[in-house]
Amino acid sequence: MIAASGLGARVGAFALADVTFTVPRGGYGVVIGPAGSGKTTLLETIAGIVPQTAGTLTLDGRAAAGLAPEQRGLGIVYQRGLLFPHLTVEGNVMYGAADASFARMVADRLGALALFGRRVRGLSGGERALAALARALAPRPSILLLDEPFGALDPRRRARVRREVRALHRELGITVLQVTHDFTEAGLLGDVAILLDGGRVLQSGEPGAVFRAPASPYIAEFLGAENVLAGEVRVLGDAAPDVMPGEPSTTAGGHRAIEFRTGALTIHTVGDAQAGDGHAVIRAEEVLLSTSEGTSSARNRFEGTIAEIATLGALTRVVVDVRGTPLVAALTTRSARELALAEGQRVWASFKAMAVHLC
Amino acid sequence: MSGARAAQRAASIAAALLASLLLLFLLAPLAGLVAAGGAGGASQLFTDAELRGSLALTALTATAATALGILGGTPLAWLLERRRFPGRSLVMALVDLPLVVPHPVAGIALLLVLGRGSAAGGALLALGLRVVGTPLGIVAAMCFVSAPLYVSAAREAFGRVDPRFEAVARTLGDTPWRAFRRVTLPLALRGLIAAAIVMWARAVSEFGAIVILAYNPKVASVLSYDRFTSFGLSEALPVAAILALLALVPLVALRALRPERGAEA
Repeated sequence: MIAASGLGARVGAFALADVTFTVPRGGYGVVIGPAGSGKTTLLETIAGIVPQTAGTLTLDGRAAAGLAPEQRGLGIVYQRGLLFPHLTVEGNVMYGAADASFARMVADRLGALALFGRRVRGLSGGERALAALARALAPRPSILLLDEPFGALDPRRRARVRREVRALHRELGITVLQVTHDFTEAGLLGDVAILLDGGRVLQSGEPGAVFRAPASPYIAEFLGAENVLAGEVRVLGDAAPDVMPGEPSTTAGGHRAIEFRTGALTIHTVGDAQAGDGHAVIRAEEVLLSTSEGTSSARNRFEGTIAEIATLGALTRVVVDVRGTPLVAALTTRSARELALAEGQRVWASFKAMAVHLC
Repeated sequence: MSGARAAQRAASIAAALLASLLLLFLLAPLAGLVAAGGAGGASQLFTDAELRGSLALTALTATAATALGILGGTPLAWLLERRRFPGRSLVMALVDLPLVVPHPVAGIALLLVLGRGSAAGGALLALGLRVVGTPLGIVAAMCFVSAPLYVSAAREAFGRVDPRFEAVARTLGDTPWRAFRRVTLPLALRGLIAAAIVMWARAVSEFGAIVILAYNPKVASVLSYDRFTSFGLSEALPVAAILALLALVPLVALRALRPERGAEA
């Protein structure tokens, strides 16, 4: 278990301040944040490499303040592996191992056993990452800190190693805290997502919840939401709004019908937002496109003109200009082809009231 | 475009000319010395017992001074490179001070501190250790003027080792000393050896401080000076030529050392 409360640390001019989060024992936490947000400093503070200057840090029930790195029962894997260059891969993996057969088993599962006779100098970035992971796991730590460990691996091997690390984490009951830039990875691996920026935690919680309900427009944009619209929130009260069949009750769970005005658009949604200025977040994959008006259960439906089409492999991103407001829709390239979408074409963009998150 | 290329070419030629002049200035005197006295010096090695004894004394005292430099200089260099503490800049300046003090002045300062009239000199005498006019004095003078070079080069050697290697070793169960011994020291070793060679070479070539503290027994630099002042240029030439040739040994050793392994990680 890793529990940080008001944790602070300083490295030169950079300060980590008031960091609070909990990764339960045996849980998998993922730290997400832009470059320079303090992700590595956070891991180094937990490891005892960077001194803690404020708050409390508890590792598996023990107060970490005053514990040297070698007393914390954790392992760390840096982004570039940082293998000891004067040792072979075997020398690295066995460096802190108490049980050689266990270390060999871990190395084998991660694909590092075949590298045992090699010197570090000749290894590729991916091979270094495998050896570094095996080295950190070999002493059987109860906590594993990973600083973007899969970045140097090719996509095929990355998926396999990611699965293996996840499996080892479950089998050995290790608490993992991993830094990543990859939102997919965060969603795939994490039980807890921690968003860090400027040395502070912006939001933390279950990854799905963080992605669905970002606490601020900045977080929404950082997490890749393409439709983040500034506007005015109007609460319509408990009066039943005009929600189509199939959508949840607008008053259920304390949700109220809400109207959000941005530019010339009026977006309908439900929620607990307060009246006043705010932002509406609609993920691009929630926006549907059709070439005829038709009918659907989606409460929000706007006619617009395609301003831009960008195809990225199997996905196509379409920007629809709705009376001066750009709405981004993400659809499969196959769907885009079937609809025969073209720039300048008139289309209808729709999304459900529940797809709108206000913050 | 062609004008710019011509200007670049002219600048390259001018730079090459200036560099050649400096190289010539540096090499010509030593080449002349070796040409004039090299053969005589080599044959004198077999016939001149005083020269052989002087060279042996120089090598031994320089080695002893270097050993002392390594003993104290290695932890000092590590502390200056890895730790931030109040007065660190002042300590760094103080360590470099002997490099900028004229060496006879260094000799006088050492004489004041280690001479028989001083507290330290008196205490050493009471222990049966006389500094002035003994090999111990030579070692002290050599160490004083050359240890700063070791500290400076050793700091660079430690600086080339990423401190996160030590951090990783600590998370793998090492105490600070064990991490230093198993990771930092092996990674910095080539740099430390190079630093020791530089210190040794500087100690061998020292004259100014030694001549104040221990004119006798004569190290090679003092012997060449002594022969020059007592017997003239022809007598000093073989000794000087041998010293110039011997100076090549540490330089070759330095070139033979490959770059730091730690820097490649």
